[in-house]
Amino acid sequence: MNGSFSTRMLRTIAAWVVVAVFFFPIYYWTSVAFKHGNDIFNRPPKLFAFTPTFDNFQKVFGISLGSGGITVTPGGGNFYMAPRVWDSIVIATLSTVLAVAIATLAAYALSRMNFRGRHSFVGWVLSTRMMPPVAVAVPMFFIYKNFGLIDTYTGMVLIHALMNLPLAVLLMKSFFDDIPSEIDESAIVDGASRFMIFRRIVLPMAKGGIAATAVLCFIFSWTEFLFALTLTTTSLKTVPVVSSTFVTSIGTAWGNMAALGAASIIPAFIFILLVQKHLVRGLTMGSLKQ
Amino acid sequence: MRVAQARNFVVSDHPLPWLLPLVAILLVFTVYPLIYNIWLSFHEFVPRRRALEFVGTENWVQLWNDTRFWQSLVITFTYFAIALVFELVLGMAIALLLDSDGFGFGFLRGVLTMTLVIPPAIVGMMYLLMEDPQFGVISYLLQSIGLLNPNNPILATASTALAGVLVAEIWQWTPFMVLIFLAGLRALPPEPYEAAMIDGASSFQIFRRITLPMMSKVIAIAVLVRGIDLFRVFDYVFVMTSGGPGASTYSLSLYAWQQTFSFVKWGYGATLSLVTLVIILVIANLFIRIAKVRW
Repeated sequence: MNGSFSTRMLRTIAAWVVVAVFFFPIYYWTSVAFKHGNDIFNRPPKLFAFTPTFDNFQKVFGISLGSGGITVTPGGGNFYMAPRVWDSIVIATLSTVLAVAIATLAAYALSRMNFRGRHSFVGWVLSTRMMPPVAVAVPMFFIYKNFGLIDTYTGMVLIHALMNLPLAVLLMKSFFDDIPSEIDESAIVDGASRFMIFRRIVLPMAKGGIAATAVLCFIFSWTEFLFALTLTTTSLKTVPVVSSTFVTSIGTAWGNMAALGAASIIPAFIFILLVQKHLVRGLTMGSLKQ
Repeated sequence: MRVAQARNFVVSDHPLPWLLPLVAILLVFTVYPLIYNIWLSFHEFVPRRRALEFVGTENWVQLWNDTRFWQSLVITFTYFAIALVFELVLGMAIALLLDSDGFGFGFLRGVLTMTLVIPPAIVGMMYLLMEDPQFGVISYLLQSIGLLNPNNPILATASTALAGVLVAEIWQWTPFMVLIFLAGLRALPPEPYEAAMIDGASSFQIFRRITLPMMSKVIAIAVLVRGIDLFRVFDYVFVMTSGGPGASTYSLSLYAWQQTFSFVKWGYGATLSLVTLVIILVIANLFIRIAKVRW
């Protein structure tokens, strides 16, 4: 595993090259966000030698970089996307809160209480994770239409919470399983109720796990496409869905789209770095512990 | 007294109050759509009467005779298999490469997580630009080394369109495998490796006889989690090709969605999405049994 100096060097170089290849599309996309149209539509593609511009961000977010620093002026026009970013943030935040609240309660019972059919129940929760979104979205579209939930925060929050529930339940269960149940038992002997133990003892001990679960729910809601595409029409749209509105009959506004795309990566990436310790457990729905 | 009883019930050991919110939302949002889909698959929207009408098993017969459906089934399986193989092999190779405490490796692992937080629809857009026949950096590269004919745009040529979509898919989700495998590799006990070194085993033998068997559980879980998503692929094909050219990139999910929302074939769309659901449930549960994955 250690080897000589030269094999270690070789390995380090290979690792940097591989990661650079994976990073390249992100760099390229970000560079497009800072390019003028004629630099985007250049052949051969310009990778480094271009005059950076802030125009795309100004058009999409109303942010401009002048002599007096950064100024924000709410804009208009078809490509002004700040409200869509706000929609995405509201939906992701509220659906995360809802999913984590429901999942934490259920996961505590699944981790601590012995009851008949517990294993099949976990299996059922897992199998709802396998539903193809299209099989849920089609019926939900008709129901939402009847109840006037199309284009509403309520509708989107509910469907995204549902989408994240299997992950959140299994993940929270794995975090609760890590906390020894002797703690609960001794508290019961002391006369504490279940709910008191849950709220005062177990929840505070699972803080890190809850944070990791919340971050993953947020990201999956933030990046979700099919439900957002199907269950919203005009007044409410999330960032992934509006990305296709940059394709117009007179060509695609790549620079504006890249500005939106590049900016939308940043918050999610910061969040995921904060919970990196639990990331793999989260990606595997709680079955692999780091 | 009644109040005390009710209070006792709420805080008791009975799991029901704890599970109730979860059960309620899962029933409303998964069981009800399932039943509705089954009902819908025996009906069809008749535009001139603007109403759903009972059509018996017509949708199911149509499904059986629909070459587009069989084609999309093959495309979905092809997409699933190619993406899974590439992501597993590349993921394992890169994980082995990055499994080191050398300087900068932690940073490199962090950079790889970036691809996971980008909405797939936006990744699709990124690759749409990069595979643009005139201005795209990937197309340019392939054309200049003679691998790509400038007259055949990647995403507008039937034989290369699926590969063009798969590039985006594999780029975004190989790091997913890398991170999972890295965590698995780091948790392996050192003793078997020491014994093998003493016995003079080659590094390939060590990988084949020690690493792979000990990683089997990790690999199985990665295959399950990724496999489910691969089979439901929608975002990339919707954004990049809309199923075209011809029907060369029609996935099952996309076909079902378009039948419902573009062609107002509500009953047939429901039939297609039911079939997708059944295939996923059967394959995933078989896999869970065979690979003995446990939660």
